[in-house]
Amino acid sequence: MMSLPFVLFACAICSAWMRQRGVAIGFWVVGVIAMLILFRIHASDVLSIEL
Amino acid sequence: MSCELSRLLNAVGLMAIGTVLALAFIDQVWFGELPCPLCILQRMGLIAAGIGIALNVIFGPKPSHYGIAIISGIASGAISMRQILLHIVPGTGFYGPAIFGLHLYTWAFIAAVLLVLGCGIMLLDDRQFSRVQPLSGRFSVLSLSALLLFLALTIANIFSTVALCGAGVCPEEVDHYEMFGMND
Repeated sequence: MMSLPFVLFACAICSAWMRQRGVAIGFWVVGVIAMLILFRIHASDVLSIEL
Repeated sequence: MSCELSRLLNAVGLMAIGTVLALAFIDQVWFGELPCPLCILQRMGLIAAGIGIALNVIFGPKPSHYGIAIISGIASGAISMRQILLHIVPGTGFYGPAIFGLHLYTWAFIAAVLLVLGCGIMLLDDRQFSRVQPLSGRFSVLSLSALLLFLALTIANIFSTVALCGAGVCPEEVDHYEMFGMND
């Protein structure tokens, strides 16, 4: 699941290379959403602050 | 600035992003520094920003492509800043070794700021968007090299992340490759 945004971004690059601009931007949008969801999951990692 | 010069400068920018990603990979493979989940997310952010730059190289410069790079750069910077803030209190430790006095997540934040700044500066020149001649379909050697390097590193990150985290989300402390059960 963590690799999903990388897969989507690779698809975006390949689509752009095949001159499919709209498809590439679509893959980028979905990839960024997936990235932000994963950031939400991992945002509090290693939070070991002792006050 | 002409459209072709803008494409060339974007190819240089894409090569710079590829170099940063390659250095992170060398640190992982050669020095055995496994990336934490937030470090992987920072790589994602840089790749997402690189897509905007790659679109400029392939289709010619457009404000929407710079928008893609800026939005992704801000997301990448936010992820880096989150990791910096996790370690900002004295005594809370750090992740990975320092390079030239700064940790990789700090360098990632600086890279994200420079990327957004670079896009902002490029957007100041409107002449690149008024195309007189049809766009050449052929890539220069630099553009082709930058695109191939960028694509190769994106694909390499897919395999690396699957090897590190398996099919699910990454564990909080990544100290071995989940897929192989080894430390580096």
